[in-house]
Amino acid sequence: MAQHQISKTFPVKPKHKPKPRTPKLTSESKYWSSFKTKQIPDLISSISSLTFSPTAPHSFAAAHSASLTLYNPLKQFSPTATISAFRDVVSSASFRCDGLLVAAADLSGLVQVFDVKTRNPLRKLKSHTRPARFVKFPAADKLHLVSGGDDAIVKYWDVAGETPICDLLGHKDYVRCGDCSPVSTDMFVTGSYDHTVKLWDVRVRDSGSVMEVNHGKPVEDLIFLPSGGLIATAGGDSVKIWDLMAGGKMVYSMESHNKTVTSICVAKIGKDSGEEAQQYRILSVALDGYMKVFDYAKMKVTHSMRFPAPLMSVGFSPDCMTRVIGTSNGMIYAGRRKYKEDAGGGSDEELDRPLSKYEKREKRLKALGDAGGLGPVMKEPQIQVLRPSNFRYFHRGQGEKPSERDYVVMRPKKVKLAEHDKLLKKFRHKDALVSVLRSKNPENVVAVMEELVARNKLLKCVLNLDSEELELLLKFLQKHLTVPSYSRLLMGLTEKVLEMRTEDIKASDALKGHIRNLKRSVEEEIRIQQSLQEMQGIISPLLRITGRR
Amino acid sequence: MIRGGKSYVSAPPAFSADAKRLLVCTGTAVSIFSTSTGLQISSLEGHNGLVTSVIVVPGNKALSFCWTASVDGTIRYWDFAVPELMKTIDIKMPIFSMVIPSIMGQPGKGTREDDSNAAHVFAYLSVENTQVQQNTPKPLRGWIRKCNLTESRLAGGALSETRKPEAITISPSGKFFGIRNKRKLHIWRVPAIDSKLMIAKKITLHHTRNFNILAFHPTQAIVAAGDTSGRILIWTGFGKRTFSDGDKLMKGRSMNNEEERDGVRGDDDADASSTWHWHAAGISVLSFSSDGAYLYSGGMEGVLVVWQLDTGKKKFLPRIGSPLLYLTDSPDPSLSSISCADNQIHILKMPSMEIVKSISGIKLPYSCPEIYDGICSKFAFDHTDGLVALRTVNYRIQFYSLFDDREMSEVQICERNHQPGDEVRVIVTLVSLSEDGSMMSTVEVKLPEEGLGSLVCLKFWASGPQNKNFSLSTVVYEPHRDARISSLAFHPTRQMVASSSYGGDFKIWVCSDEIQQKHEALQHSGWMCHAIGSYKNKPMTAAAFSGDGSVLAVAAENVITLWDPDNNALVAVIGEMQMPIATLSFAGKSEYLVSVTKGSKPQLSVWSMSELSESWSYKLHVEAVTCAVDSSSFAVLSLLGKDGVILLFNATDPVPLAMWSVRKAQEGGLAFLNSDQLSNQQNILDRNRPQALLVYINGDHEYVIFDPYNIEAKELSLTRPGSRVAPDETGQFGYSSIYGELPKFDIKRDQTVAPSAPSQRPWETIFSGSSHELPPLTKLCSDFMESLLERRTAMVE
Repeated sequence: MAQHQISKTFPVKPKHKPKPRTPKLTSESKYWSSFKTKQIPDLISSISSLTFSPTAPHSFAAAHSASLTLYNPLKQFSPTATISAFRDVVSSASFRCDGLLVAAADLSGLVQVFDVKTRNPLRKLKSHTRPARFVKFPAADKLHLVSGGDDAIVKYWDVAGETPICDLLGHKDYVRCGDCSPVSTDMFVTGSYDHTVKLWDVRVRDSGSVMEVNHGKPVEDLIFLPSGGLIATAGGDSVKIWDLMAGGKMVYSMESHNKTVTSICVAKIGKDSGEEAQQYRILSVALDGYMKVFDYAKMKVTHSMRFPAPLMSVGFSPDCMTRVIGTSNGMIYAGRRKYKEDAGGGSDEELDRPLSKYEKREKRLKALGDAGGLGPVMKEPQIQVLRPSNFRYFHRGQGEKPSERDYVVMRPKKVKLAEHDKLLKKFRHKDALVSVLRSKNPENVVAVMEELVARNKLLKCVLNLDSEELELLLKFLQKHLTVPSYSRLLMGLTEKVLEMRTEDIKASDALKGHIRNLKRSVEEEIRIQQSLQEMQGIISPLLRITGRR
Repeated sequence: MIRGGKSYVSAPPAFSADAKRLLVCTGTAVSIFSTSTGLQISSLEGHNGLVTSVIVVPGNKALSFCWTASVDGTIRYWDFAVPELMKTIDIKMPIFSMVIPSIMGQPGKGTREDDSNAAHVFAYLSVENTQVQQNTPKPLRGWIRKCNLTESRLAGGALSETRKPEAITISPSGKFFGIRNKRKLHIWRVPAIDSKLMIAKKITLHHTRNFNILAFHPTQAIVAAGDTSGRILIWTGFGKRTFSDGDKLMKGRSMNNEEERDGVRGDDDADASSTWHWHAAGISVLSFSSDGAYLYSGGMEGVLVVWQLDTGKKKFLPRIGSPLLYLTDSPDPSLSSISCADNQIHILKMPSMEIVKSISGIKLPYSCPEIYDGICSKFAFDHTDGLVALRTVNYRIQFYSLFDDREMSEVQICERNHQPGDEVRVIVTLVSLSEDGSMMSTVEVKLPEEGLGSLVCLKFWASGPQNKNFSLSTVVYEPHRDARISSLAFHPTRQMVASSSYGGDFKIWVCSDEIQQKHEALQHSGWMCHAIGSYKNKPMTAAAFSGDGSVLAVAAENVITLWDPDNNALVAVIGEMQMPIATLSFAGKSEYLVSVTKGSKPQLSVWSMSELSESWSYKLHVEAVTCAVDSSSFAVLSLLGKDGVILLFNATDPVPLAMWSVRKAQEGGLAFLNSDQLSNQQNILDRNRPQALLVYINGDHEYVIFDPYNIEAKELSLTRPGSRVAPDETGQFGYSSIYGELPKFDIKRDQTVAPSAPSQRPWETIFSGSSHELPPLTKLCSDFMESLLERRTAMVE
């Protein structure tokens, strides 16, 4: 037999709203939204390149017009240094693996190597006859440099001697991008406007490229994926993933951008837990203003963000804390995750349940006693034993949290009753209506009105309102009369109110003013409805025609 | 034949002498419930009419005798432990109330009648004088009579005559009893057992309003009465003049007669009178606590009020949810029961007024506003589990097990507070269950206030695999704009519902589980509209899926439209009736469709789907129709005046297979049930197993289940499964209820302990252990002394 409980009191609730069809935020999109974006404005022209230093604090270099600016993400993205020893627009920059040097190419064809600290140009590599478009230090190699430019030549430099070791010929159009293999210092890929991507090996000098794949569109950017076996190329509105081990087979083509993809980079999800922790993603930005996060294991776009300008470049810090995006109008959107203090978090995790306060204190004392392994170094601190003379004695153990194995007796949930619910419970209907009108939550007001309708008391309440309360009601009606979800009730109610309280409204100037406002909002709504109908008139034949096909 | 669904609240129940049983008048029987489990244990069957009162003989707890009175004009004496009928007294007049003063107020003397020269046991009966013609002006049909139960005869003439038979109230001491008669109270003093006076003395108390109920104080001369306006009047020291001694009897009587003639209130025989007023509506429950310090009152509001008698201070037990009818005290002062109008008996733990158990019967029909009479679906049946879903007045659906005759669960459909006695403004109009009983859809309607704020709300519910705990899945506000929904039909196999509305369209709803893959659907499984159809903008009045779910038949006022539910394509239109079709139903898996029209030209028609034409029809006023799931037979409940007849048809043949005439068929219901569950319980042999069972519920929600095909054995050998009798928990009572069980007194052990072994030194161990476990001082002392003695003797030896 079902246990009878005294029937609960139900608070007045507004109607349910339809649930959004789109699924809720996945944990991954939550992660990508957790980067708190800060705008770095006032750069002159488009941001052609963003590159991160491989060493902490992972400051990044942004190439914009004829200068290269370094920013420190730890200090609110304040510019730490600006290198402006360029004759033309800087096209690309690259940090050396130790983060001490940065190489930059400009459109005059000059490639320069700077000391990051002093900002002095240490080497000037002059060989490109046309604008240089990319420059890159190989992964673990401190002595060489790869660059490419509009002369369709890829050059492999000896940095110290300022001389090109070899010119790699093969591209038939501007070379726009390149990347060095993360697993080998001798291999790198370059992409060109002749739609091809070539893999070079400097150990084989004469035979040209080792491998060649055709992207099908002018290649704007390419990267090695961290395994070293896959590359991702961006060109046109697609990002393609190629398997170099399998002889240059295309693995997947992501075509979710609407305009040219300008830049891609590899990002890691820097979370410790969760399904997608420590996995790599491809970030791609395009001229359509979208940044997309692509999971190349599942071949799925997992997140996308929109920015208000065409995007030119993207960078992601190796410590997974910073993500920067450069636009064509000289704005950098720098996002940084909240820095969590991990210190001290590790000690509790060895037990599978959180320690109680007393256990923690015991542990802390033990740790103090054993410091240095030489027995108690300092005098053991007095644990204050709670005595009945202490007030806390009577509250001891009350804040104790249940441990995992404890059976917790659930307390029945208390129904929270608002002011109007209490008044409704006491059958003080008018007071409930007035109280909820004062509370300024239109959903609740409508819910209380509906409840009063269900009790057949709404009109009686309206009749009993004094002029001040009537003013409240009129104000509410004027404001929310045209809200579609309330309008069916409120329109009828307004009519009734005007009908029943004509005398009072005529007597008061303040009420007349509200009626005037009410009239105005009704007229406006009528105008809106008319224009909507006009629009419907235009659209419906079109829909009819498309439906026929 | 299984009968059930009786009202538990037609008459006040009674507790057994040990307060472990509750005797409840259920129709023609008395059902005995356990107060600790709330389950039925046994029943006393024998009366032919409604049992109107049951009185347990108090006294020895081991004995279990009771008197029952019924409108069949008999008084019976039972031993309800066995249960066994011991004695029958026929007085040939319908008895509406009975009190037995001589067994009251003398606990421990209940077995008096075993004595050889026992005094006669007298009962006072409220009977209906059937000889008085109804058509005479102001017929006085109600009589109060005295009956000698020992000699089985009526004694003396009528003590009083009233318009209708009234309920007699007796004082707990057994000295007084009284009735209410419009604006008067008549109170009699019971003559002493050994006195020769046969006629009791009587006084009358007057008031300006009609009384509802009266109650006597257990010890003092105080009587309280509740009137229709919610006032409680309390007279103290009533009857001092009249009842003081026997010498003044004649004078007192004459004075009373005068008073009756005059109707002068000021001359009533009482010391003082005071009035308490809290209740807004009439009072129906009034009772003094057993020690006389408190007065309980209750009424329409469903609030039990406790008045402190000296100060008039109030305490409340609110939100019982239904008008209160009776409050019954038990011999155990910590238990009492209240009977509510919604066919529930709550057992209260008294000082704290906490409901410990509820005995819920089938919910009684309630009146909803007239416009909805035709629209409301009365019942929904779960064919596999043998459940019926009933709408209750407090916005719930009750699931009642027909085989077990008890409530399974209740589902709150609409989260509103229900005030009993308020006008019903929100109505659950439709309830429909899927074939397997795992899904439910309901429609609730909020009535508009002067055209303002009406709301139709369609809800879909899903339940777990076993229990009937439905949880809300989807809410659809105004599914057919503001038009009302006429019917809901579940697809027999899939998660699909068709709802038809008077607004001229029908919609097909599907659960999104069906659309999405399973692992994705977990988060948002909901119902959404799959298709909308309409036919010439005619109001859609009924809908039904065919047995295999391939055809959806929707009645568009007076024609039947057949649709393909998947493609939402109109397949065929058949029929042209004169009146709107009220019900559609496919006859099992056969090709026949049954349609029912109501109104001035009622008709029952059977349509052949293969020929798309009417095969036969009757001009019958059909109240309900049901079709067997896997055969082509169907049964209709046809109205003939107030009563009705159940006709069993085979769809191919217009000649009915069987007929049964039933009573109170208006608002009745009919359904086929699967017999699997019953046969599982009863281990009926396969050859005896009925094909299907038919259940008929009448307008009062009493039901009967029988096998419609086994015509020669109309009185079916189906009996209620006996295994349902619940093992009774042994409740703790008296001393043990406060202090817990005492350990059994074990003589042997005591003997072994007493001579202590001299070698041991018990004082060393005697005081060890915590202080509350120490043996009592007397024991300690002797042990201690003994230990001293023993030491001495040891030294001597």
